[in-house]
Amino acid sequence: MRFPTLLTTRALALVFIGLAACSDDDPASPPTVDPPLGLQVTATGSGSIRVAFNGRAADDSYTLERAEGSGTFASVTTINAPATDGVVTYDDTGLNVQTAYTYRVKATRGSASSSYSSEQATTTLPLGAFTRTVTGDITANTTWYRDTTYTISGFVHVANGATLTIESGTTIKGDFNTLGSSLFVLRGAKIMAIGTAAQPIVFTSSQAAGQRKPGDWGGLIIVGNAVINRTGVEVEIEGTNTAAGTTPGTNYRVLYSGGTTPTDNSGELRYVRVEYAGYAPSVNNELNSFSFAAVGSGTKLSYLQAMAGLDDSFEFWGGSVDATNLVSYEAGDDHFDMSEGFNGRLQYVIALQTARLTQRTGSGSPSSDPQGIENDGCEGAGCTNGRNTTPFTSPVVANFTLIGTNDVATSGSSGGVGMMLRRGTAGFYVNGLVSRWPRAAISLRDAETFARAATAITPDLATTDLAVRNVLIAESPLAFQTGTGQNAFDLATNGITQDAALTTALFTAFPATIGTTTTAAALDWSPAAGSPAATGGLATFTGKLATAAGTAVTATAYRGAAAPGGTKWWLGWTIYAQQ
Amino acid sequence: MNRFAFVFSLLLLPAPLLRAQEAAPAAPTGRIVGRILDAQSGQGIPQVTIQVVGTRLGALSGVDGRYTITRVPAGTVTLHVRLIGYGPKTVTGIMLDANKSTEQNITLDQATVTLAASVITADAARGSSAEALNAQKTATGIVSGITMEQISKSPDSDASQAAQRVSGVTVQRGGSLFVRGLGERYTTTQLNGTRVPSPEPEKRTVPLDLFPSSLLETITTAKTFTPDQQGDFSGAQVEIKTREFPAIRQYTLSTTAGYNAGATGSEVLTAFTAGGERLANVGDKRNLPSIIRSLGNFQGINLTQGDENLLINQFRNAWTPSAKTAAPNSSTSFSVGGNDPILGQRIGYLLSGTFSQSTDQRSGLVRALANRGDTPGSTVEQDRFEGESGSTSVIWGGLANFSTLIAGHSRLMFNNTYSRTADNDARREYGFFENEGFNARIDRQQYVERSVRSTQVAAEHQFGEAHRFDWALTSSGVSRDEPDRTEFVYVVEPGPGGSDVLRWHNSSNAGAVRTFSSLSEDNREGRLNYQLNFGALGRQHYIKAGALHRETQRDADTRAYAITAPSATNAIRELSPEELFDGRLTGANDSLLHIIPLAQGGSYVAKDRLSAGYLMAEIGLTDRLRLITGARFESDRLSVDATSTLGQPVGTENDWSDLLPSAALNVSLSEYQNLRLSVSRTLARPEYRELVPIKSRDVLNGDDLEGNPDLQRTRIDNVDLRWEWYPASGEVLSIGLFAKRFDQPIERVYRAAGASSRFIGFVNAESAENYGVELEARKGLAFMGRLFEPLSVFSNLTLMRSEIDLGSNQSAATNPKRRMVGQAPYVLNVGLAYASLSGNTSATILLNRVGDRIEAAGDLPLPDVVQQPRNVMDFSLRFPVLGSLSGRFDAKNMLDEPFKTVQGTVTREYWQAGRTFQFGLSWKN
Repeated sequence: MRFPTLLTTRALALVFIGLAACSDDDPASPPTVDPPLGLQVTATGSGSIRVAFNGRAADDSYTLERAEGSGTFASVTTINAPATDGVVTYDDTGLNVQTAYTYRVKATRGSASSSYSSEQATTTLPLGAFTRTVTGDITANTTWYRDTTYTISGFVHVANGATLTIESGTTIKGDFNTLGSSLFVLRGAKIMAIGTAAQPIVFTSSQAAGQRKPGDWGGLIIVGNAVINRTGVEVEIEGTNTAAGTTPGTNYRVLYSGGTTPTDNSGELRYVRVEYAGYAPSVNNELNSFSFAAVGSGTKLSYLQAMAGLDDSFEFWGGSVDATNLVSYEAGDDHFDMSEGFNGRLQYVIALQTARLTQRTGSGSPSSDPQGIENDGCEGAGCTNGRNTTPFTSPVVANFTLIGTNDVATSGSSGGVGMMLRRGTAGFYVNGLVSRWPRAAISLRDAETFARAATAITPDLATTDLAVRNVLIAESPLAFQTGTGQNAFDLATNGITQDAALTTALFTAFPATIGTTTTAAALDWSPAAGSPAATGGLATFTGKLATAAGTAVTATAYRGAAAPGGTKWWLGWTIYAQQ
Repeated sequence: MNRFAFVFSLLLLPAPLLRAQEAAPAAPTGRIVGRILDAQSGQGIPQVTIQVVGTRLGALSGVDGRYTITRVPAGTVTLHVRLIGYGPKTVTGIMLDANKSTEQNITLDQATVTLAASVITADAARGSSAEALNAQKTATGIVSGITMEQISKSPDSDASQAAQRVSGVTVQRGGSLFVRGLGERYTTTQLNGTRVPSPEPEKRTVPLDLFPSSLLETITTAKTFTPDQQGDFSGAQVEIKTREFPAIRQYTLSTTAGYNAGATGSEVLTAFTAGGERLANVGDKRNLPSIIRSLGNFQGINLTQGDENLLINQFRNAWTPSAKTAAPNSSTSFSVGGNDPILGQRIGYLLSGTFSQSTDQRSGLVRALANRGDTPGSTVEQDRFEGESGSTSVIWGGLANFSTLIAGHSRLMFNNTYSRTADNDARREYGFFENEGFNARIDRQQYVERSVRSTQVAAEHQFGEAHRFDWALTSSGVSRDEPDRTEFVYVVEPGPGGSDVLRWHNSSNAGAVRTFSSLSEDNREGRLNYQLNFGALGRQHYIKAGALHRETQRDADTRAYAITAPSATNAIRELSPEELFDGRLTGANDSLLHIIPLAQGGSYVAKDRLSAGYLMAEIGLTDRLRLITGARFESDRLSVDATSTLGQPVGTENDWSDLLPSAALNVSLSEYQNLRLSVSRTLARPEYRELVPIKSRDVLNGDDLEGNPDLQRTRIDNVDLRWEWYPASGEVLSIGLFAKRFDQPIERVYRAAGASSRFIGFVNAESAENYGVELEARKGLAFMGRLFEPLSVFSNLTLMRSEIDLGSNQSAATNPKRRMVGQAPYVLNVGLAYASLSGNTSATILLNRVGDRIEAAGDLPLPDVVQQPRNVMDFSLRFPVLGSLSGRFDAKNMLDEPFKTVQGTVTREYWQAGRTFQFGLSWKN
């Protein structure tokens, strides 16, 4: 049947020859022969390294070469090209324990060879240690012990009312090779992850240290039964629902709408660190380091750090959970993101951004509008009254220290605001320190947001739902962003001061250059002697602020996340690393 | 052509030629061909004696009632036709020229009480709208149609425009059809009796603009199901028949030149070309560079900066549309058709080809999203973008159809069609992007190439009066390629000195994107039908049985890549894209640019195997009452295997078996009035893409879209009632009522995901109901006086209501009770036609209006997105020029009313297409 069709096609095409004068914009580019791309080496044991690179069917074979330590390269093996384009792996075994090896590879096609690929190095693992890979869902009470390294492979859900208890000092790895590997704690289930400053619980990438990147794995997601302000529709966790059905261990749909219990209890997280999370299982839907969806106030959150996640560090969709002592070092998107009627209270909060992150290839990408805090009122389906939908997003955020990159070029094409308050959000933001945000320290965006403050440049704490009080602003060109839809509070009457002091002078220790060699020990967030952060706080809460703060938040005479001469609460359990 | 004829003649069976009796007069002679039809059933009648009065010439009709009488003396001829059981008929006044053929179809009425002979005069106009009405009058089910003559009289250049003239039909953007406002899901399209695969990934549609109107014989729309039709008939079936050959050899050549009031001669935004776009055949010139393709989804490997630079350099450095002066629109088409003896066998043929190109511009484009207002039920505008677009389109195609009669009892056909289109679009927009709070400029270039092919061998066999077989083997395919789409986003920022500066949206994975999509689908189908006629003469019955098997495979693939530069300085961001990607930033020591494979895409393979069989009977209960009843069984196995760019593979497999009964009662109230009642069950199966649970961007409107592998097929119960009156030749008045109940209809809905992501999903609603009334009228104005004799008016109007009940399916974020998506409350066509008494000059003016309909159900609490009604008026004129040369003038979209969709108070989309004027010449021999 094809034969006459082709003939027909050609016969007809002939008719139109002559109608087809060509004057096209550019000719096709010539074909190129290239070295193998994407060489990757991973230590898989004390005597083995897995080598992977991209193979092409058009090649004949590849020559793999290895050098031990600083030695010279020698051929290891010749690997045939794959039948179809795709990843070629080779397990190099019989290697020495804890020894560095460097690899390179070249392609052969007929009599021609390519140049060498890039060189990649890794070190074989030490002897010993327990490991366990966790797949499927956890549906019965389970304890994870500190003598074992757990690898979460796939979308692991704590479900069916089970409690997952994690001993202090336990390391949990998200499997790099199973895309999007994440730990979900579903409604009714609990996580009891109580570490100590000396023995924090660490969630990180399964890649070897030094090769970890933002987006290596998914993240930690907790879903509760508290209230969100989107009603009448089912709302799912962004990034879930890439798998149909409810097969355990797959990325099935996880809903968090419809909860009715503000005091719901999802367990406790204390001294927990989440590193290199943020994989995007679907378009533009990166997972966050910590996701709290409709989590109730029975849940306890304290001493949590997110490090180099590809999306937000801490995201709260609705719910009423309180949290203290939160640290976010380097984020792909926002450090703190609250929306959908979240009304918990956060105190002692640190965010530090110094650079744009470079993500794991193919995992999504850093946001083009990263901010320190990004709070939304209501957005999306189910916002019955649009941005005026109640309950409002109305957190109390107290004693926050938000440090940006001080550089537009590393703040995303449209980000770089310390506190983005928009789309009708309410809340009280007091005793903070906002520095180095190149677009503005604060954005009070949209009429509905301003309406939360009764459209007053000095909101009355007795009557309004939104106020920004006693905030120290440094190294930011604008206190309040200007432009379409932007509003501003009066600085003086709200205790907001724009200080000339450099960020480096505000704290006891803040390196002039923060880079790949910086460690957490180099950062001391206590106010330096004479720092304007040591004073200027709102020491007494009144009106709606006092009601909202209750006993969960303490009024302080200082601004920022650390008291002058107080406990260095971040010390010991947080880390800082660029990649 | 000879080659085809040769190949074709090899297929012929050596058959004894049962020729008509022939005389050998010396005088000049001609040929008469035609069909003898049953006036009641519309079916061809074999074994009818046809005699040329006053001579010994004559013939017996063969398969399908066809006959040929050769060597008839030229002049005015009278035919006498007779068959026992039918009233004899004499046709006078047939004009036969020497060495020419003339076509004469004759209907016979079944004899009732008396055998009254009738005499009629050959009508001057043949193959006219009267013929379409005749087909409508005699059809078993409820059909509406338009013929070649109507198409050529209208300004329509392709099938989609022509189809709007059919009663109850709504033509969608993109050329797909809605019948009775039911949506393309419930409308199927057949070409010469065989299903045409859809080139759109997630829609069941055949863009009819692939079929130039000059290749069409008829477009008919069947609205009631009979068991010999395919079960996923759903609501309606559009049947496109390509032209058969004329009785005498005829050449036509026509060309047109057109003027688009908005585009021609103006500067129009123009997308880049790589070569081949002008023939809709770019081949591999725009393909994804193989080294990038070889990397798959970039997973499991570790690209170095050098690797990334190398990859980025592979893309064609073309991002910014240019402004070029638009050329006038033009089209050329030719055809040759005839009926010649080849190797002793008379073979009919039609070869035809057409090529047209046009440039359109849309200025004043507006698109915006709606957001919830501060008070319940209110809407506010968000993300409003304004801009312009330019589009260059090419359509070419042709057909090669051959047919022959063997021994009077068999007819063998070999039909080929092929058609290709290309649309090269460029679009530029400015607007405010709320989510990230900046002013943006977006440049986009999109090239889409589509093809449809079909090759068919078919035959009809008549054995005596009782047995009739027909069969067909068809291979068909479609493709839709969208290679190398580009998107580039600028942030418009206040620069030094107060003027705006354009800076690349460098840190977003939407800032610079290249997308490569392809889809191809192949179908193989075989079908066989047998019909047994029996019963007393004058009250014939028949039983019909048949089977069909079809196998379909579709392969679709989409890959998208973003280039970002997260740490670019403002100086770099201010470079043009062509500067950014000319290699200056991808040198050996550069580490600025990154390439990211986007998750929006993936691939899927769908395999569909359908086996069906049916048994039906048409029984003449009385002279005036006919019952058509039967059932069809269909078994369908559909499997879809999908892999998203970054996710795991997902598969789904469904086995659906259904029994589809139907019954219809046709009452012939009088010779000119029919009443029809029909009850049936039909199906609608999910589209392949709808079963694919991976998220991708909708290629049509930019929303993310995700399939649902749990979808089930829809079962539809239909009831139709229609009264028709044919007061005179070419005139009709009909009223139809219809009601449908849908069990588990598939609805395209918004799904509620996280805060910022809206996406379209598919769910089975619980049920839906649809009912309405159709009116059709066509009337000559001769009764108003001789002056009005050349004029006729026609109109069709459909009024309908529907309600969907989503039931407990809470996956949808839309109102659970509302109209069905895509349903229009009314469709109106009104026209006035003029045909000069000499038949040489004709003119038509047409007005079309479609009621407001839901384009997308709004995500709660937003109201639905509604496409506004729009009046479209077209005018066409055909006039003689000189000899066999005729002229045409067409004015399209004369009112230029805007296309507008609204959501609450927000205008979601707005544009004007512009008026077009076209002048053409046709030569016919």
